[in-house]
Amino acid sequence: MAATAVTNTVTNQSKSLWRHAWSTIIGNRLSCIALIIVVFYFTLALLTFMGVIAGDWGKEIGPSYSPPSAEYIFGTDIFGRSVFLKMIKGAETAIAIGLATSAITIVIGTILGMIAGYFGGIIDELIVWFYTTISAIPGIMLLVAIAFIMGKGTSTVFISLGITSWVGLCRILRGEVMRHKDREYSQAASALGAGSFRKLFKHILPNITHVIIINFSLTFEMAIKSEVILSYLGLGVQGRPSWGTMIDDSKLELSRGVWWQLAAATFAMFFIVLAFNVLGDALRDALDPKLKGK
Amino acid sequence: MKMRNILLTVMSTTLLIFASCTKKQDTNERVLNLVSITEIKGYDPIMANDLYSGREISKIYEGLLNYHWLKVPYELQPNLAEAMPEASKDGLTYTFKIRPGIKFQDDIAFPEGKGREVLASDFVYSIKRLADSKNQAEGWWVLDGKLKGLNEWRDKNAKLPAANYDEEVEGVKATDKYTIQFKLKKVFPQFLYGLAMPYTYVVAKEAVDKYGKEFINHPVGTGPYVLPKFDQGKRIIYTKNPTFREKFYPSDSSPELKHLLADAGKRLPLVDKIIVNVMIESQPAWLKLNKGEIDTYSIPKDNFATAVKDNKLSPELINKGLALSITPMLDLTYTAFNYDNKLFQNTKLRKAMYMAFDEAKSNELFYNNTAFPAQSVIPPGIAGNIKGYINPFKGPNLEGAKKMLAEAGYPDGKGLPEITYDIADSTTSRQMAEFFQKQMEQIGIKIKVQASPWPEFLAKQKKRSLQMFGAAWGADYPDAENFLQLLYGPNASPGANSSNYNNPQFNKDFEAAVAMQDSPERTARYEKLNKFLAEDVVVMFNNHRQSYSLTQGWLRNYHYSDLNLDYVQYLNLDTAKKAELLKKF
Amino acid sequence: MNLYSYILRRLLYVIPVLLGVCLIVFVIFNVVAPDPAFLLLGRHATLQQIADLHHELGMDRPFLIQYLDIVKSAFTFDFGYSWSSKQQIWEMFKAGAIPSLSITLPLFMLVNFSAISIALLVAFYRGKLIDKIVLIVSIAMMSIPSLAYILFGQWFFAYKLGWFEISGFDPSIPGFIPYVILPILLYVMISIGPDTRFYRAIILDEVYQDYVRTARAKGVSELSVMFKHVLKNAMIPILTYVIIQIPFLLLGLLLAESFFSIPGLGGMVLKAINTSDFPVIKAMTILSALGFIIFGIITDVLYTVVDPRMRLK
Repeated sequence: MAATAVTNTVTNQSKSLWRHAWSTIIGNRLSCIALIIVVFYFTLALLTFMGVIAGDWGKEIGPSYSPPSAEYIFGTDIFGRSVFLKMIKGAETAIAIGLATSAITIVIGTILGMIAGYFGGIIDELIVWFYTTISAIPGIMLLVAIAFIMGKGTSTVFISLGITSWVGLCRILRGEVMRHKDREYSQAASALGAGSFRKLFKHILPNITHVIIINFSLTFEMAIKSEVILSYLGLGVQGRPSWGTMIDDSKLELSRGVWWQLAAATFAMFFIVLAFNVLGDALRDALDPKLKGK
Repeated sequence: MKMRNILLTVMSTTLLIFASCTKKQDTNERVLNLVSITEIKGYDPIMANDLYSGREISKIYEGLLNYHWLKVPYELQPNLAEAMPEASKDGLTYTFKIRPGIKFQDDIAFPEGKGREVLASDFVYSIKRLADSKNQAEGWWVLDGKLKGLNEWRDKNAKLPAANYDEEVEGVKATDKYTIQFKLKKVFPQFLYGLAMPYTYVVAKEAVDKYGKEFINHPVGTGPYVLPKFDQGKRIIYTKNPTFREKFYPSDSSPELKHLLADAGKRLPLVDKIIVNVMIESQPAWLKLNKGEIDTYSIPKDNFATAVKDNKLSPELINKGLALSITPMLDLTYTAFNYDNKLFQNTKLRKAMYMAFDEAKSNELFYNNTAFPAQSVIPPGIAGNIKGYINPFKGPNLEGAKKMLAEAGYPDGKGLPEITYDIADSTTSRQMAEFFQKQMEQIGIKIKVQASPWPEFLAKQKKRSLQMFGAAWGADYPDAENFLQLLYGPNASPGANSSNYNNPQFNKDFEAAVAMQDSPERTARYEKLNKFLAEDVVVMFNNHRQSYSLTQGWLRNYHYSDLNLDYVQYLNLDTAKKAELLKKF
Repeated sequence: MNLYSYILRRLLYVIPVLLGVCLIVFVIFNVVAPDPAFLLLGRHATLQQIADLHHELGMDRPFLIQYLDIVKSAFTFDFGYSWSSKQQIWEMFKAGAIPSLSITLPLFMLVNFSAISIALLVAFYRGKLIDKIVLIVSIAMMSIPSLAYILFGQWFFAYKLGWFEISGFDPSIPGFIPYVILPILLYVMISIGPDTRFYRAIILDEVYQDYVRTARAKGVSELSVMFKHVLKNAMIPILTYVIIQIPFLLLGLLLAESFFSIPGLGGMVLKAINTSDFPVIKAMTILSALGFIIFGIITDVLYTVVDPRMRLK
């Protein structure tokens, strides 16, 4: 019974922490707007995913390279498709890449970080060696290498981003778990005969979720920005619009004065990156003011 | 706070001072400013497998033959050779006399640093060097299977730690100091073109031995210019070769190029110094041209609309004295089917796809309407191209395409599996693939676009695992053989026939035609082969591109050429005009 | 544990990490990457030539030998020859380092100096209007792709206004200056946003510490809290971040170098990526990993000197 009691208090504690975070965000006008923006983008992505809007982005609506006007809000691209619809559809791609990348990062980072922190010893040494090695290689080289192996496509983008960005999370979690495993509640749990994995996932994990959440918002933002860089290098998304490919298109088109694809993609990116930045700051302030800005 | 303000002020003033010191051009200097749009791979002739490296190498090195600067279509002429070779009656032996007294440039590789005379044995050495498998020469195909005993020499020496250059090869011999004899295995008149390509340029054994692996950075040739050392920079500066032989600007020309005869009979080269700027991105090069810092440049695709209207330059550019020259290139862009795939052996399916494709629209979107729609494989300007011929299956003809597709057994695309179209990723090829996809969609054919990095794409192509893909072919030499061989069965991947087309009848006719000397009869056979490929829609023939290059008012004698790699020696500069025109920039 | 044995231990740790880096490089480029032979032999390749080339490149040797080769190259810096330019890679590296550094070094100083100054300013006025404006402006500047800066900057400042050279490079000492100013200025704009955000976060971490509250409670003025306490203590994480950037200075600027025709390492890397020049990619990966490891040790040691408690960890 004692064990459950301990867990309860812990979850209660973290619940109140979450409630606190929520009220901080709602209470602050700026972060409240940021939250609305993020929700808006997610809704947009969901709607395009279901085909409710922007389903016909591939349709020709006018002549090639029409500048923005009342008829074509953000102008048209080389094939006369609406840049506005491509921008909307691009939100889906961006959100999908953000989610998938964060998911991979979190899974790898959390598992390795927790195992290293909890078991210590040779396992810890190995994992630390592994992430030191990975982080020693410049990210761009690793990205290119993975694209070499996997070919091109949307999955390559998020897998390579995921694989290259878990180190930060892993390092922080390892430290956090080390601190937590000697706390009373977790010692109490082991006294009651809880297995290692039960202890790790049922008792320690809930206490470090805030680290994961903060990392999520950072990774998400990073993934959206990296997609653009990958598209420069010709490693971007294929077969559907993304902000990265729109910007990639415009690198040639700019010299003929076609600036609207670039403007539309930048515009769309600006708000979500801004929102994630504000939200990330707010979350960090609310959940863990002492966490270093990694 | 105050401190920081002071600092900022100091910094910004310094910046402005630096900023105002952009360099002014010295208009009296007899120097040309040219652009190379790719990195230069180095200066080893046997490695020169791209146009741009070939152009740099040809400033320094020379071969037995070259192309006449002012003849259209291309015409071979002796360069280091004294005259065109004597061919034996059976067409198997070619004997060259080389000009006596030609010297390698001065270099520390030679005794006392003085360049020595070029002898027939140097050519034999250079040919063997191209054949030596240790060198992994990219130009080996020019000789592969052509000269008697050379393949055997290559194979034998591949196993040795170092190839034995002293061993005699029957196919390439120096019969005296100035005479070289080539013996072919079978009749192949196109062999002579190989002697105008950089691969067979003459190199000095002393320099190869002295510099070893670094030879690639230390060119030692016989040509009009010298470059002391290639340092991998983005600015390559050539100076006149002081020991260059007496060579003169041509005094005869084709009627089309008569206007370039002003310097006829003058000693070459005409300009003292050449600066080649390696500029991969088009924007900076275009801006530099517009500032008068570059003498000639091709109009970038996306600047085209603003620079040219109805084949005329914009008034702004004309006012600056710039001139536009439009030249058809010897090339073909095409969309290939992989014949390993049974699906594409259905001729009607290929025809249906070709008929559905709107070439005019693609020309407008991707080539600013500057390309010629290709009807078949041989480009205009090469014997074998049929003037005025229109391929009956060339699109857009949606009605016909739909009918044809039904006849092929796939009415409205029903029953036809999804076809994969592969591209090597780049912005433009991605857009082209999307266009292709949309075109095929109109008749119900589903296309999946798959992009890979260039090496991966190439590996797939060479391993024959692609289904459909876009390709382009630029001529190695001006003979229809170089284009028809794209579909010659034995050249299948990893060779140049990447569609792996293999038609025994075509192979046989091709072999018979290429073994003939240039004659109206051979041209007739080339035309027949060309027409056969066209009407069988063996690949989707897309277009033949044209070069649109701009030249500054002070640049003389320029015309674009795919094959005159040594063109720079003929160029001239009008310094007075340059000083005058630059005021307008 | 004393400082010297700590340093020694850290130095020894270089070996397993470097072996790991070599292992990753090996797996990627020697085991799973596409066959480079097609790329190298051009469009008229034959099967015989491909086999010859595999032999010549040593690709037919056992994997263990190939791996040991890479390890050897990491210690001897003998990376062999580039596939595309056939140049000796170490020589290419040396030739490209100076042009790259002539841009990245001033850039690095300028960006860090201004980013730290701005971060201090906004941390001082945290939550106020200026903080929010800086946040929005820096994110707007981050959102615009770097290519747009380059294209516009080159067109406007160099071509239209004629203030700078459009592109090119002069290796001589004062001669290089007109060529590098524009790329430096553009990259200051590109990278100042994220750096300001980062330094602001570090400084704010200190602002919320107990000792700051104590100092304030004691009536120390806000300005002197900022400079005497906060900046002093934030210096360690700031320095760490600054130092760890140093090895990346050598990597140069990927895009700018090809737009401004600067013969540096960034352009070299980009070209190697575009032409699949594996030996160059491998060498640059290993070299930058080495730089990263070494500068990592330097920051660690610096930490320990400043704060001896760290050593016990």
